[in-house]
Amino acid sequence: MTDATTEFFEELDRRDHEPLLAKVSATARFELSHDGATDHWLVAVDRGNLTVSHHDGPADLMLRTERKLFDGMATGQVNAVAALLRGALVVEGDWELMVLIQRLFPGPPRARQEPTTTTTSKREKR
Amino acid sequence: MSDGLVKILDGNTFVVSDSRGDIEASLTDPTGLFSFDTRFLSEWVLTVNGERLNPLSTDDLEYFETRFFLVPGTGTVYVDSKLSVIRRRAVANGFNERLAILNHDEQAVDLTVRIDAACDFADLFEVKDALQKKGKYSTRIEDGTLVLAYERGTFARATEISASAPAQLDENGLTFQVRIEPHGEWMTDLDVVTAMLASGQTQNRLKAGGNRRRGRASMEENLSRWLADAPRLECDWDPLKATYRRSLVDLAALRFSPPIAGGRSLPAAGLPWFMTMFGRDSIFTSLQALPFTLELAATTLTALGNWQGTRVDDFRDEEPGRILHEMRYGELSAFEERPHSPYYGCADATALYVVLLDEYERWSGDTKLVRELELEARAALTWIDEYADLQGNGYVSYQRRNEETGLENQCWKDSWDSISYRDGRLPGFPRATCELQGYAYDAKIRGARLARTIWKDPAYADGLEQQAANLKRRFNRDFWLEDDQYFALALDENGGKVDALSSNNGHLLWSGIVDKSKAKAVVRHLMGPRLFSGWGVRTMAEGDGRYNPIGYHVGTVWPFDNSFIAWGLRNYGFTDEAAQIAAGILDAAEFFDGRLPEAFAGYERRLTKYPVQYPTACSPQAWSTGAPLLLLRTMLGLEPIGEHLVVDPALPVGIGRIELLDIPGRWGRVDAFGRGRVDVAGTPRRRPGGPRR
Repeated sequence: MTDATTEFFEELDRRDHEPLLAKVSATARFELSHDGATDHWLVAVDRGNLTVSHHDGPADLMLRTERKLFDGMATGQVNAVAALLRGALVVEGDWELMVLIQRLFPGPPRARQEPTTTTTSKREKR
Repeated sequence: MSDGLVKILDGNTFVVSDSRGDIEASLTDPTGLFSFDTRFLSEWVLTVNGERLNPLSTDDLEYFETRFFLVPGTGTVYVDSKLSVIRRRAVANGFNERLAILNHDEQAVDLTVRIDAACDFADLFEVKDALQKKGKYSTRIEDGTLVLAYERGTFARATEISASAPAQLDENGLTFQVRIEPHGEWMTDLDVVTAMLASGQTQNRLKAGGNRRRGRASMEENLSRWLADAPRLECDWDPLKATYRRSLVDLAALRFSPPIAGGRSLPAAGLPWFMTMFGRDSIFTSLQALPFTLELAATTLTALGNWQGTRVDDFRDEEPGRILHEMRYGELSAFEERPHSPYYGCADATALYVVLLDEYERWSGDTKLVRELELEARAALTWIDEYADLQGNGYVSYQRRNEETGLENQCWKDSWDSISYRDGRLPGFPRATCELQGYAYDAKIRGARLARTIWKDPAYADGLEQQAANLKRRFNRDFWLEDDQYFALALDENGGKVDALSSNNGHLLWSGIVDKSKAKAVVRHLMGPRLFSGWGVRTMAEGDGRYNPIGYHVGTVWPFDNSFIAWGLRNYGFTDEAAQIAAGILDAAEFFDGRLPEAFAGYERRLTKYPVQYPTACSPQAWSTGAPLLLLRTMLGLEPIGEHLVVDPALPVGIGRIELLDIPGRWGRVDAFGRGRVDVAGTPRRRPGGPRR
């Protein structure tokens, strides 16, 4: 099965180390509901080293949402913080961890990462 | 309060009511109970036997608590009532109101006591901009609680109202049938609880750290501890003592625990519209307050570091390494009708973040936090070079990515007309304002110190120092107006000089980017008649095209601005001029009972004799509250050097003696003493020895 959510977690697992979470040692569990079922993903962070599994144990942070919405977050089309504010994403546990974990989500697809340049205006490159 | 409204608050929850304690808001009216940028009560009206009440007095007990003394009947001059009504209201997870009615008669009375309640659940932005709502309202009565609710898709907010005394609940409020015996009393507690609910979930409230569910007693204790922890000020000039105390209490009120800070607090920007996390304001206020409290800076650094940008997002003006501008929790942010989740469109907070980190370490010696935030600090320094140099000319400039709802001017002077040429024309974008270059320079110098001494990366430090030296050299060439002998306000989109004369020159002194040889000329302008009003330095000089003494950023005097200018003057050895600014701003504070407004008019001091307040929604305002604190620092010449605090006072003559006792820092606690010696006779003083009002 290759959907955006699965790809996102598999990519996290392959990423192995995420420097943006280098200070973090904690676990985050994602509960994604769809068609009456719930998928569980557990992301364990050990000083930035990521391990992804389907374990269904306790975690420092739990995030609950619909799988469809999470597909959007996994591809950068849905902003996690806005989703949290409107109650589409429900969080329990360590809020500070939530702010760090949301760094894992990509930016919106339209915006391109702009390479450093010292000769031309970056704005022209958009 | 000057506007007749009564405000109390706790964290980002606050109540604005009339002098009776009643709330009758419209979509555009700023009264109500607000929490997390949403209005949770827009109507809260007390009647006794169908009659509104008449206020006798209002008693602001603390910033989180007020007492209203009322009698039945309105509009009459002569009041002869056999009843007293007392509402004692405290903010805590919504608010608690203790309503008491006293019967002074020798007969028993039967009363119908009624509270009408309703809510429009307006987003703060809607209150400011008068927008219409898109969701559904509902009201229900559940287990003796009146629940007012609003839902828009998964977005759900509710207000829960209950009473301790027996009440009849209906959809519009609560009714009490009360009999009070002769000289008897009736009392009820009214609890109004704000709830942020997620769809289909049990109550999943956003927790604002330790501020939520705090009882009145612990809030009182918190405030007394805050005051006891701060250094003690002894001085001959009583108004300064009053201003100092006012600043400490207001700073306590403006502390805000964002949901992520684990109960620790950072300064929010101002009341009531800006009780939220602001990058720039939180950083400037933390800098001002460093000699008095280290906690605000530590929390600001941690919270802003957690929220640091990590990706490119045009809507939010987010970029990797960028420090946020503003966070909002309301409906419009939730549905992305506004970009504040959070919004990053701010060109100075990122460099200032590194400045604060270094300054914090110099005071606190907290190398642990500096090591923890190494990644964030490096990302901030990288942002300056990789994302802020929009024109490829080595200068920080700004142009919003979000063309619809983003901010045009991303410097502290963020109103639309703040950046102009001398003849009043507005430049195009990107704009590189001068103070941004100063902050970038300072960030590199300070980043280098941290890299060398704490991160143990001398190569990185060398690189930063080289970049800083290079930037300074080019800046003094490219921004300097040779004929006029001051620095241009900005470079425009073609690299041309935006040549208005502005207070930004003072921030350049603070950052240290000004060549020593140019400092004297800059100071002559700052203290000259076009910029210096007698109270302080104007944002824009008299005589420039857009100068307006009551224009927000084009002629008013900002206490915060002046406090940093005074710091800059001291850095370059202009101690007398720094003392003169301190004297002017502190004199002004006395007219505002110690609570400096965000800005006041730029009129000549001799003309008006008193400072004319700029009409603004925010009072108190964090960085105005911090201004007297920073001015105490500049007057006493407090400077951490190594493990010691150096004291080098330069006080205005009339101020007499100042003792600041128990200044916290890496040295433990030390005292500083000073005596007024600097003659600032150019201004009419009202301190002891000077002419009185």
